[in-house]
Amino acid sequence: MNKKINSFKTPEDYFEGFTDKLITKLSEELTIEKKTDGFTIPDAYFDSLYQNIQNKLHTPDPKVFRINTFKKYYYVSAVAAVVLLFIGITLTNKTKITFDDIAISDIENYFDDNDLDMSTYELAQMLPIDELEIKDIIDNQLNDENIIDYIDNSIDNFEELNLDPNE
Amino acid sequence: MVSEELLIQQLQAPDTQASAFQLLVDTYKEKLYWHIRRIVLDHDDADDVLQNTFIKIFRNIGGFKGECKLYSWMYRIATNEALTFIKEKTKKLGFSDSEVQEKMINKLESDVYFEGDFIQLQLQKAIATLPEKQKLVFNMKYFEALKYEEMSEILETSVGALKTSYHLAMKKIESFLKEN
Repeated sequence: MNKKINSFKTPEDYFEGFTDKLITKLSEELTIEKKTDGFTIPDAYFDSLYQNIQNKLHTPDPKVFRINTFKKYYYVSAVAAVVLLFIGITLTNKTKITFDDIAISDIENYFDDNDLDMSTYELAQMLPIDELEIKDIIDNQLNDENIIDYIDNSIDNFEELNLDPNE
Repeated sequence: MVSEELLIQQLQAPDTQASAFQLLVDTYKEKLYWHIRRIVLDHDDADDVLQNTFIKIFRNIGGFKGECKLYSWMYRIATNEALTFIKEKTKKLGFSDSEVQEKMINKLESDVYFEGDFIQLQLQKAIATLPEKQKLVFNMKYFEALKYEEMSEILETSVGALKTSYHLAMKKIESFLKEN
């Protein structure tokens, strides 16, 4: 017989309750960890979360006016028509006005003064992105001096940019 | 624990979708909640954003192709939802980004669901002064203990850039706390 005798003992049923005790302790530690930034949540908040999501998921969305791609020019035309009408009423002469006669500023003012409730996604859908060039968005082309000034004002330490001196 | 691959399959199959979705919510609700909460600060706002995040996940899971890990994809949705929420709030109120951040912090001082002490409040004030990307990186690294590789997948930014952002954020927070 080569069976070694273990002279150490454990309390009765120690290992039977070990997992539960460990889980309780771990959950307590996790709770404390979450509170170290000061934020707390209402009691049992997470218990009802799934049901709340289900309720929201099955609530029909309010009807939203979607601008489909094929309608984008109708929409621009509608805005232009309103601006044309406005200019037509305010002008006393009877000269025929075309879309080209509308100042860009008038169109911009119309967008500024009227809440069109369009998301950036909808605007992006409406804009003919294929025809856009970078110079349409940026008025002034960036030169090296502007870029260095910007970096100089925004970055505390040039080394943090991890620039490769060989580049 | 169901493997991620199996969970995705179950989420995409109509007959197992409901139970898999419940498992998904149960598994990730707390992680995503705290991630969102640290961006929007207020509990009710975090609750709204969290529910919208899971709804978006449910509606878009069919198109998930597995180009990245499921949790990275969900974190990305949660981050975008939280940032969009703040942008919409800024637009509605007609304030600048910094004014909205200031209001959010002031509200935090009287929030019943914020029990932070003076230092914790000062830390939140310091975080509020950071640019958006640095704020995200700091919260994800400092509070959520995410690895740079995980953050890189979520924020679609290189590890080097993330390290730089975190370093800059730490320096700014340190100087804010020294000055205040």
